[in-house]
Amino acid sequence: MIVSKAFWKIAIKNIGTIILYTIILLLFGSINMNTSTTTTQYEAKKPSIVVFNHDERKGVTDGFMTYLEKNTDIKTDYADDDRLKDALFYEDVALALDIPENYHQDIALGRNPEIRMRASAGYSAELAKVVVKRYLTIAQAYAATNLSEADLAAMIDKTLEKNVTIDIKSSVDTSKYSKPTRYFSFANYSILACVITIICLIMSAFNRVEIRKRNLISRTELKQMDRVLLKNCCIYAFGVWLLYIILGFVTIGSDVLWSAYGLLYTINSLVFTICATTIAYVLSKLVHSQSAISGVMNVVALGSSFLCGGFVPAEYLPDSVLAFAHILPSYYYIDANNKIMAIESFDWNTLWPIILNIAIVICFSFAFVALAAYISRKKQKIA
Amino acid sequence: MKNVIEVKHLTKSYKSNKAVDDLSFEVKEGEILGLLGPNGSGKTTTMNCILALLKFDEGKIKIFGEEMAPDAYETKAKIGVVFQEVAVFDELTVYGNIEYFCGLYIEDKTTRAQYVEDALKLVGLEENRNQYPKQLSGGLLRRLNIACGIAHKPKLIFLDEPTVAVDPQSRNNILEGIKKLRDDGATIIYTTHYMEEVEILCDRVIILDHGKIIASGTNDELKALAKIEEKVTVEVAELSPKQLGGFEKIKNVAEVSYENGVLKVVYGKGKNNLAEMIEYLKANRISYSRIFAERPTLNDVFLELTGKELRD
Repeated sequence: MIVSKAFWKIAIKNIGTIILYTIILLLFGSINMNTSTTTTQYEAKKPSIVVFNHDERKGVTDGFMTYLEKNTDIKTDYADDDRLKDALFYEDVALALDIPENYHQDIALGRNPEIRMRASAGYSAELAKVVVKRYLTIAQAYAATNLSEADLAAMIDKTLEKNVTIDIKSSVDTSKYSKPTRYFSFANYSILACVITIICLIMSAFNRVEIRKRNLISRTELKQMDRVLLKNCCIYAFGVWLLYIILGFVTIGSDVLWSAYGLLYTINSLVFTICATTIAYVLSKLVHSQSAISGVMNVVALGSSFLCGGFVPAEYLPDSVLAFAHILPSYYYIDANNKIMAIESFDWNTLWPIILNIAIVICFSFAFVALAAYISRKKQKIA
Repeated sequence: MKNVIEVKHLTKSYKSNKAVDDLSFEVKEGEILGLLGPNGSGKTTTMNCILALLKFDEGKIKIFGEEMAPDAYETKAKIGVVFQEVAVFDELTVYGNIEYFCGLYIEDKTTRAQYVEDALKLVGLEENRNQYPKQLSGGLLRRLNIACGIAHKPKLIFLDEPTVAVDPQSRNNILEGIKKLRDDGATIIYTTHYMEEVEILCDRVIILDHGKIIASGTNDELKALAKIEEKVTVEVAELSPKQLGGFEKIKNVAEVSYENGVLKVVYGKGKNNLAEMIEYLKANRISYSRIFAERPTLNDVFLELTGKELRD
């Protein structure tokens, strides 16, 4: 039909816009993909402490000092009390310990001597306290058993050497899916921009009052013309989605996308593209000025991408922003991407939240279709 | 000849303002009917009502014997419209635009291609076929607008002020094209406020004012209503009040005016008025630089009927 031909001619005339948003996706999407949101490597941090040992380095005291040297970063040069207070205040030092005189003997005798601790206010101080208390708790437990000083120190060392082995039952490396998550979340912007701009530009051309009047007096039924235009809008949007999926295979790699995870990302993005098409269709009924289309597109595409975590991971966004984002379909699309990334095993419990998000996006689509139909009916009466 | 359009008691109001007031007329097959009237006289509203683009309050409209309605697609297939505003796609070329609007009526590709070529030729845009509307001058754009409206070779064509703001060359081209369409058998409704175009083109004229028909007929029939036979204009450098008074006493003279060195003498009736005027000037030793006579125009008719100029 001639209407389809004109539709695609106008689309091709605006191909520069499609290329632009595709380049943006590839460029910024790639940068975004390399911004990992998942920490996979951990390094134990040794808290900085100061030790004032008033005891001889013998027995438990010697064992304790050896333990501290191994598990903390012992600072010196804090003999001056004011200097130490400043260091604790500014958290240069997490904890200051005063080991009293005859500490090793008192422990061996089961007297429970007290080690004076002065801590800073930060997280490091809590960590240092945990490290110190671990030794002292074990020491006090063995002190009650009347062991000799040498045996006591040996038993504490032996106990501290014991490690807990943790078996990770999940063999899925979820960090592997952070790249497609970032790609598809960034695609929120590109899909919205590409679909809204082109569909609105084409529809605004067909909806110009003069053109519409000419169409109205022609032998072609207006409803049929609208159906053809809507069908072509859907085909165009499907083409955009397909292009981004193919580019996803190129940039992310087929091993990731050619999997159950990839299938979920693909379905989620397809549903979102359908929703973007319905948004574009509604906007095309409201915005007729071609110069206004760019502005509207930026508000919708950029706004929703910023608010829903398309550019910045949702965990970095304030709660108030995320609460507002709940009224936007982009939120459920991006949230579904994050949930797909977090899947460790495919079962109903892990899939249900994703299905729910996709269903919400479908509901948004139906709502936009209904809104477009309502606006059309209102505008049908020319006189 | 058959009636192509029959309008009976058409009335259309916008709130309390009657844009079209009890309008009745017919358009015969193969004629060019001019709808003449000043801006706001109801020409475009009448046209939009006939095309079922506007709902009207009262009346009946029949086109090709069928009642016109928004879903009268068989009737619409025989109609072509050239709107006052240029209605083309900026994103399509000249050829693409004509092809699109022709394609709304003609499905066969070969026929369509031929029709598009014919339309390009008719409006003289063959050289501009690959240009976009924004690359065209105002006049060429108007020609494209016409080509888009008539490419499917309709039997009935509505032209709503197609020559507004166009250069003389384009205007001539457009008027020649319209004559060609009539010669090819089309019936044309031509709305304008340019009386010269109506006089050149139209077989019959309807003069509208405030949504009402104030006169209708052929050019000559309408001019007969003006009660003027001839207007003689003389460029005279100087005239005394006595000399001026003398003109009023000439036989058949209805009105005399003299302003900025131009003497206008209106004759109510009589023949050879110009020759008699030259004799009078010679006899009274009044020197003049230029003299010419005019037949009454439709503007004179409008002035006679409404007391105001057509372009007021």
